[in-house]
Parts: sequence; C-alpha cells; structure tokens
Amino acid sequence: MERYLQIGKVNIKHNILPHLLVTAAILCLSPLVLGVSNLEAPDTAKVLEMYVALTGIILLTPVFLPEQNKDLRDLVYSKYMKASSVYLVRILEAVAAMGFFLGIYVWMLHNNNCQMDVLKYYGGTMAEMLFLGGLGILCYGLFDNLIIGYMVPIFYYIVAMGSGDKYLKMLYPFSMAKGSYEEKIYLLIAGVVMLAAGVALRSRRFR
Amino acid sequence: MMFWTLFAKECRQTVRSLIYWLTVIILSLFFFSQLGDIEITGKPVKGQEDYGVKYSDDEQIIMENTLGRLAEEYCRETYSTYPIGFHKSVKPDKDENRRIGDILEETAGIRDRKVIEDLMAEHYNKGGVIMTGMAVRPVKGLSYEHFQKLMQEVDDILGGGSSYAKDMLKSNAMVAMTYEDAMEEYDTLIEKDWLTGGYARLFCDYMGIMLAILPVFLAVTRGLRDRRAKMQELIAVRKASAAAIIVSRYLAMVVMIMVPVLVLSCFPLAESIRYASEAGISMDYLAFAKYSFGWLLPSVMTAAAVGLVLTVLTDTALGVLVQGIWWFISIFSSMSGMGGGMYGWNFVPRHNTVGNYSGFHNNFAQLAANRTLYAVISVALVAATIWIYAKKRRGKMDIHGKISANRKSKYKA
Repeated sequence: MERYLQIGKVNIKHNILPHLLVTAAILCLSPLVLGVSNLEAPDTAKVLEMYVALTGIILLTPVFLPEQNKDLRDLVYSKYMKASSVYLVRILEAVAAMGFFLGIYVWMLHNNNCQMDVLKYYGGTMAEMLFLGGLGILCYGLFDNLIIGYMVPIFYYIVAMGSGDKYLKMLYPFSMAKGSYEEKIYLLIAGVVMLAAGVALRSRRFR
Repeated sequence: MMFWTLFAKECRQTVRSLIYWLTVIILSLFFFSQLGDIEITGKPVKGQEDYGVKYSDDEQIIMENTLGRLAEEYCRETYSTYPIGFHKSVKPDKDENRRIGDILEETAGIRDRKVIEDLMAEHYNKGGVIMTGMAVRPVKGLSYEHFQKLMQEVDDILGGGSSYAKDMLKSNAMVAMTYEDAMEEYDTLIEKDWLTGGYARLFCDYMGIMLAILPVFLAVTRGLRDRRAKMQELIAVRKASAAAIIVSRYLAMVVMIMVPVLVLSCFPLAESIRYASEAGISMDYLAFAKYSFGWLLPSVMTAAAVGLVLTVLTDTALGVLVQGIWWFISIFSSMSGMGGGMYGWNFVPRHNTVGNYSGFHNNFAQLAANRTLYAVISVALVAATIWIYAKKRRGKMDIHGKISANRKSKYKA
C-alpha cells in the first residue's frame, strides 16, 4: 500500500501538477466568458458538457508522459513493480482530481441558482470526461504519441459540435443539453473500456 | 541551395509521419461529413414553401426589432449576452439600469415598465405561433448613426457579446426571404460570384474551423521529434543557419497541409463544373484556389507558428493547449456571425452560407485586414522562433535537458 502512496506522491510532484493548475485556471476563468448563474437546465448542461468536460482531456491523457523516453520506459518496465500498477495509480489520481474539480464547479453552479439535477449532471459530466480522457489515453497508448492523444478527442468534440448526434449516435457527448441521459451510460462504459485498453497496450513489455 | 535541400527533407519526413496522415484523414472526414453532399442548388422555383431567411438591410426593421428586444430585456432587468457563444445572463446594477432606461426613452420614447408589459402582452397573447420578437417603433427623427452609437453603449454596459453591439444589430432583423429575394440572390451568385465564389466561401467556412487547430498538432509533434530522437544536439552543431532550419521546417508544414486542402476543394469544384455546363453558365474555375490561399492559408500559418514557437521555447506540448484555448474562444464567439459579413478580427471568420454576397462584398476590406493581420502575426512568431532556436543552439536559454541538481529519489521503485 505504501508503495502505491509513494507512486501517487511522486506523480503529484513531478507529473500531474501543471495539469492540475491548468485545469484550475480554466475553470476559475470561466465566469469571464460564460454565464454561471441563473441558467435554465439545458444551458447548465451546455456549460458542463461543452466546457467543463474538456478538462478530462487535460487531466487524463498525459498519464504515460513520464515514461515518454523509450530508455526510461525500458528501465521502468524492468522493475519488479508492474508498469500497469503505476499507470492505474496515476489514473486514479487524475479521476479523483476530476471528481473534485467537477464537484466544486457543480456546487458553484447550484449555489448560483442554475437549474439542474445535481447528481445526474455530476455523473453525466464525469462520464463524458472519462470518455474524452479515455479516448486520449487509448490513442496515446496505441500510437505512442501524446499529441495524437490530444488530437483525437478534440476531433471527436468538433464532430459532435458540427454534426450533432448524426454520426455519434449513442456516444453523442452533449446529450444532457437536449434532455437525454441514456448516452451517458454508454459513454461511461466506453470510457472505462478505452482506459483499460490504453493501459494494457502501453504496459506490454516487449514492443 | 541548403535551404531547398532541407525543405525537401522536411517534406519527405512529413509524408512519412503518422501525425500527418492522421491530419489528412481528419480533414477528409470532416470535409465529407460537412460538405460531402454539397449540391449546387438551381434557380428558385415560384411557389416554394419557403426560400430561407436573411438578415434585413432595412434600417427601420433593424431599429424596430432591436428596440423591441431592448424594451423586453429592460422590463425583465435581465439581459442575454453570448460573449463566446455560451449564454450568459447579465443583471446590471441600479445606475446602469437607469442609463439603459434613459437610452430606451431617447430611442423608443418609452420607459415605464407598465407600458412595456402591455406591449409585450399585446404581442405575445395574440394567439397562434409567435415566430418573431416584439418590434417597437423608434422615435421620430432618430438617425441610424445615433441609434448605433447608443446601442453600442448598452452593449458596453452589459460587458460585450450582446445583440446591441454595432456589428450584431443586423442579427436582430431576421426576415423570411420572398421568391424575389431568392431570385435576386441566385442572380448575384451567377453574375457577380461566377457561381463558385459562394461555394468557395462555404468551403472556407467549414475548413477554416479545422485548419485553425489541426496544424498545431503537426507543428508540436515535429518540434518534439528532435528531442525524442535525441537529435537536438546533433542538429545544433550542423552548418545550416537557424533561419534555414526553422523556415524550411515551417514552410514544409504549411505546404504539406495546403496540399490536401486544395485536393479536397476539387470535389465541390467538379460539382460546380458539372452544374455550370448543364445550366450553360460561365464560372470562375480558380475561385476555390484563390479563396483557399486568401482565407485558409493565414489560419494554417498561424496555428502552425503557435505550435512551432511554443515547442521550440518549452520542449513541451504547451502549444496544443494555447492554440486549443484560442480556437475554442474564436469558434464560440464567431458563432453569432455565422451568416457571414461579420468577420471582425476573429481568428475563425465565418460565412456559413452560399449566399450573402453583399455581406462579403461590403466587408471585404475587414476580412482582408483580418487575414493579413494573422499572416503578419505568424511571420512574427516564426521570426521569434528563429531567435529562440539560435539562442538555445548556443547553449543559452536551456529550459530542459540540464542536470540541475542531485534529484536522486529517496523512493524505491
């Protein structure tokens, strides 16, 4: 257990910190550009789904970054501790951070008299964040390229914006704004599957 | 000579890179999903159910609709603004509300909330489907210029992004097009736009969304590759000047991205040629190429330059974040001007229609200034990159790669 805590500590100190700061800045600056008070339920959903959820890409995608260097990766993979355990600890931390930031944001919206079903909106946004971040991790793991890990979920977001649910069907990320919640369950499942697949791909020792 | 050798090398490397082909695939997928089923619409036929909508140029209609909206919002003491496309409701304080009341009185001659409520009740309770907002007549003798000035003041009080901003006033005057309007628009498209002009603008509108962000991924990946391949030091000691290295790299990226753009533009071009020969009209064969270079090239140049400069400076993916945020704000804040003609200084100018030639024609100078600005910015960023690269090459300004301290971890792996 102690070892996992140590991994977590090192991750906070050397890896996730700048991403946490960027996320905090993006959320704190949001009232400058978008309304965060007295919103109707669809507008509240829009803020969460189209703005806040993007931080999922920032927090989750770079979990493999510390071992970007191939030599370092070989070294890490030769250790007794499984690489996948290290990655899982990092992912758990990122997810916890996401949950924390989102919690504060939803609480702030709720206090500012925005209409919403708090638990549903919280869960739905979290599912979308896991999906976007999971897509990033999968692509990073698959192509061994952080930039592609950012590019694909952003493209997904643009397609959703440009074409609605025409192509994305049950994996349409902005469904709450039009009053549908079923998609979120599919997003959650797909997100978790992609996270697992990304980690499994990355943790293969012989490449 | 050295420069062209480097340039050719960079192009070859780009063609062999995964990220480039992913960029091409994404660009193509986006094109075919948004514009794949583009059809050249023929002449409007009499008796059609509707001919679409347009922004009215009639100053009287613009004033009436805008004042109707202002009266309603003044009455509710809550104003809708869209600073970057997201709804933001603004509640001005007492003094500000009083000033807006003064303006309403000066322009529409009303101020009493009871009177406005009666007007609203009359407008909204007349039964049937209410399609348009309330209209309020301006006071006699109000000039359009003075009206514009006062509305801009309201927009400033609200913090920007409202329907009262000078450039947005037209968007309050959406009217249904008649057969004559539609016919006039068609004639303009054929006679002044040589058929392809309108479609080229629509092409640029869609592709501009993607090209305002995609090049940054290519640029950042290219920038990080030297470090990943541990080639930084090796390249640093070569004879080629910093300018030759950076400019060849940059130029190769820009050229390689413009190639698929021009190839994709051949699809709507072919469709236009087919229609023109069937309808027996003449067309401008070069419109897509002209618009691609004038409209899209500055976007590609800027996004690539942002990626380049930030990667050379920090050796991280910071460029993606910066360009991503800039892209996000630009896209959402230009949404209210989708109909074209309201280009302003937005990085992603919109013109999401084949029509509205007059909007384009009347605001061409603004659009040209906008595109020139971004072309200049990108050149400045490339110059900055050369300077930074030259410094780093000589071992100054090393942000990464220094063994700074004894950082041996006390943790056992």
